[in-house]
Amino acid sequence: MIHSLFLVNASGDIFLEKHWKSVVSRSVCDYFFEAQERATEPENVPPVIPTPHHYLISVLRHRIYFVAVIQSEVPPLFVIEFLHRVVDTFQDYFGVCTEAAIKDNVVVVYELLEEMLDNGFPLATESNILKELIKPPTILRTMVNTITGSTNVGEQLPTGQLSVVPWRRTGVKYTNNEAYFDVVEEIDAIIDKSGSTITAEIQGVIDACVKLTGMPDLTLSFMNPRLLDDVSFHPCVRFKRWEAERILSFIPPDGNFRLLSYHVSSQNLVAIPVYVKHNITFREGSSQGRFDLTLGPKQTMGKAVESVLVSSQLPRGVLNANLNPSQGTYTFDPVTKLLSWDVGKINPQKLPSLKGTMSLQAGASKPDENPTINIQFKIQQMAISGLKVNRLDMYGEKYKPFKGIKYMTKAGNLCQFRLH
Amino acid sequence: MPYLGGEETVRELRRALSNPNVQSDQLRYRNTILKVIRAMSQGVDMSGLFSEMVKACATVDVVQKKLVYVFLCSYAALNPELSLLVINTLRKDCQDPNPMVRSLALRNMTNLRLPSLVEYVEQPLAAGLRDRAACVRRVAVLGWAKLHNLQASSEIDAAVVNELYSLLRDPDPVVMVNCLRALEEILKDEGGVAINKPITHHLLNRLKECDIWGQCQVLRVLQRYRPQSEDELFDILSLLDASLVSPHPPIMAATLSLFLSLCSGQPAVSLAALERVRGPLLAACGSGSREMRFTALCHIQLLLRSIPGLMGAHYKRFFCGYAEPAYIKQRKMQVLVELVNDENVAMLLDELKGYCTDVNAETAQAAITAIGRIGRSYSDRCLEILTGLLGLKQDHITSAVVQTMRDLVWVCPQCSDTVCFALEGCEETLQDSQGRQALLWLLGVYGERVSSAPYTLEVFIDGVRSEASLGVKMELLTATMRLFLCRPAETQDMLGRLLHYCIEEETDMCVRDQALLYYRLLHCGIEETRKVLQGRRSDPSLGVLIGRPAEPVSQWARSFNTLEPLRQGSIETDGALNRLKQ
Repeated sequence: MIHSLFLVNASGDIFLEKHWKSVVSRSVCDYFFEAQERATEPENVPPVIPTPHHYLISVLRHRIYFVAVIQSEVPPLFVIEFLHRVVDTFQDYFGVCTEAAIKDNVVVVYELLEEMLDNGFPLATESNILKELIKPPTILRTMVNTITGSTNVGEQLPTGQLSVVPWRRTGVKYTNNEAYFDVVEEIDAIIDKSGSTITAEIQGVIDACVKLTGMPDLTLSFMNPRLLDDVSFHPCVRFKRWEAERILSFIPPDGNFRLLSYHVSSQNLVAIPVYVKHNITFREGSSQGRFDLTLGPKQTMGKAVESVLVSSQLPRGVLNANLNPSQGTYTFDPVTKLLSWDVGKINPQKLPSLKGTMSLQAGASKPDENPTINIQFKIQQMAISGLKVNRLDMYGEKYKPFKGIKYMTKAGNLCQFRLH
Repeated sequence: MPYLGGEETVRELRRALSNPNVQSDQLRYRNTILKVIRAMSQGVDMSGLFSEMVKACATVDVVQKKLVYVFLCSYAALNPELSLLVINTLRKDCQDPNPMVRSLALRNMTNLRLPSLVEYVEQPLAAGLRDRAACVRRVAVLGWAKLHNLQASSEIDAAVVNELYSLLRDPDPVVMVNCLRALEEILKDEGGVAINKPITHHLLNRLKECDIWGQCQVLRVLQRYRPQSEDELFDILSLLDASLVSPHPPIMAATLSLFLSLCSGQPAVSLAALERVRGPLLAACGSGSREMRFTALCHIQLLLRSIPGLMGAHYKRFFCGYAEPAYIKQRKMQVLVELVNDENVAMLLDELKGYCTDVNAETAQAAITAIGRIGRSYSDRCLEILTGLLGLKQDHITSAVVQTMRDLVWVCPQCSDTVCFALEGCEETLQDSQGRQALLWLLGVYGERVSSAPYTLEVFIDGVRSEASLGVKMELLTATMRLFLCRPAETQDMLGRLLHYCIEEETDMCVRDQALLYYRLLHCGIEETRKVLQGRRSDPSLGVLIGRPAEPVSQWARSFNTLEPLRQGSIETDGALNRLKQ
């Protein structure tokens, strides 16, 4: 399986290596560096690189490349999912997953890698189990350990291995019993210059935070379950009941977990709840261009659009931009030509706008690249697909828990307006 | 601590490690070892500290033990005699009351990878298989596999293999999966674990207890099983039904692989399974991770070979976002070409036209090639777009367009009029040799319809002395000869000059030989020359894009869920086209 793992940073230095079978020399990474140099941007390095004796499969997260060395045929999805799981574990343990964090906690990193893989095969990767084996470093614990000389290593076997329901241990007790559900939807859409939608997709997840005593059995039903298309569930959900009655029936794991993820079918094209009025022109022969951009909310049912961030890659010929935002701040980087406008919250009474001029390189012809505007935003208390939870019931325990449901919509990676 | 250089660091750390004050203070000792590990992780060679680290191994501090083991496992191969000293500590630890210490010791004994230690390791490993703690059993099972890797030639005792088979029924699911992995490695020469009916049913019943990685392993091993009756086959399929649409892409892919291999005799069932994974595969294409998206795309390409209409309604999902990496965009465009049909062709071409002006030159060229392939069935629209692109006068775009037009004309000769018209004037913007070669070929074959052909060729001929590319020179020779055959008056003079240069002054032998061949051909007479040079101009049979027969699933089922589809390379072999044109 996975023979070795190298961690490479953006400038091409290997700062950590771990071997599970025999020690592979660092020179195998030379093929990776070659590909890194050929790629114009860090994200353009291909994830699978064949070399004469190995394959290099890499994922890029937080500007660090996690490069796995494989010697025999493996299913690529397996390796990629596993590498992401490793990164998620580091993030869970240290809060951030940066080169500095890994270097500071190199002991815990090595311990984790030892536990997660044996002979190259994934062993224990569930977060609760790992946390009982190797306690994460917190400031308090590090201080206590330094003073008393004790260690992070758990002295007992994790108890999660002993209950009948594998995802929930027995003997859970809380004083305040509560269950919260977050419905988070991400919309990816491409809008053309006249405002009509070319394509739109909504991916949603329902995350839960369940702190209930004992072994409760929950039932969740929706008002409009037919909206949900392509649903995938946490293993705890009883699938047959969903197929028959479209009701979610499950014994929840303890703590935070993802209950289900879904995709909403878009027979009627849903639009981004923000519209853009734009006037970006360059004139042949003149060395100045006009830039004029106004945003407004659309069909948000009264809810405010916040954390709005507009970014656009301007054509290469643009030297500088002198713009005046009516709200928020903007930055323009003359090297990468990236314009970024941090708007904040959109006030429907006074729509935010960004107006001004751009200066072009002298003698450059009219740029013919098509700028696009990418947008990010968040809307609280609204699920853009219209999904609504009907009721949540609990069986199997005698107390009355506190229940809460929250909705949120945000923009995905691919939310853009085309201007030409 | 400033790292002034390897030897300096090693000396300092050796002094610290041998210092009895440091050794008695647990905290300082541990911190010094931490520094050693840190330096090792940055590539500094710490093998000189081996003996000091061996002494550090005998401690009650579990964390320190782990750190020392990390060090020893990396450098043990260089110091086999000293490693023997560690064995005693390890064997003692294998009897420790704490199961974690036992499993740690067992795991590291096998990680040391020293053939000389094998005799000391076998006995604790055998005891580990029967340990009452599950975590020790897990490590012991894999330990036998590691031992086998170390001494591939020695026979693992048959008793051990039997014990591993019986451990497949262990109550702990991880032990069961580890047994599978170990047996696969040990019995590799015999084709891996022997899968029979009772083992299959046992594994399937316990599939749900395993975690993601375990399930993938089980599903992979089960591919070798052949059910003995149709009822049994369908029982197995219904058991695995929920895994087929699992939210975890590796499980979904492994289950589909298994379905396809079990149902190789029943194409209808295979096709039904492919329909069911459409949803999860599309979801993986929209996943947050780029690498996952790329892998899912490559697998969808495989599926489309058997069910071209599978993604028909979802073609919009393969539109490229502006900021996506180039390797994803290029694969998405390949998929889009497969999905074209009468209803969506206008919209698809519109999208592809937008990508032709992408900032990345390779992506722009891939978009233009994609338009060219669609042009085999919808030539008018595509030619319109391609001619428009010529108007942008950008060199990499013009080069790609001319090459695409050459390929298109080979397959659809009816387009030649539009192409000839469009060729006027594009030689100014062509810089790279591929584009120029394509232009020369077109001028040679269709020269009689392009009015400015002789003048363009004359420019090339005048510049032939400074021409660096071999391919361009060869193509120039052939093109001038062909043009001479249809427009002799205008070309005779420059053909003479060209042949004179190639035969007298050219240093490259291939060009010279070709020129000599043509010269002698001309001596034989015009009819002979015509017969040789004016061969086929096109081959419409190569061009069918729509209406290609769907391939049976068995052709690609073996390479699903492997690294095969991810390798670079498009589906069509354009190389074959090039060879035919010579």
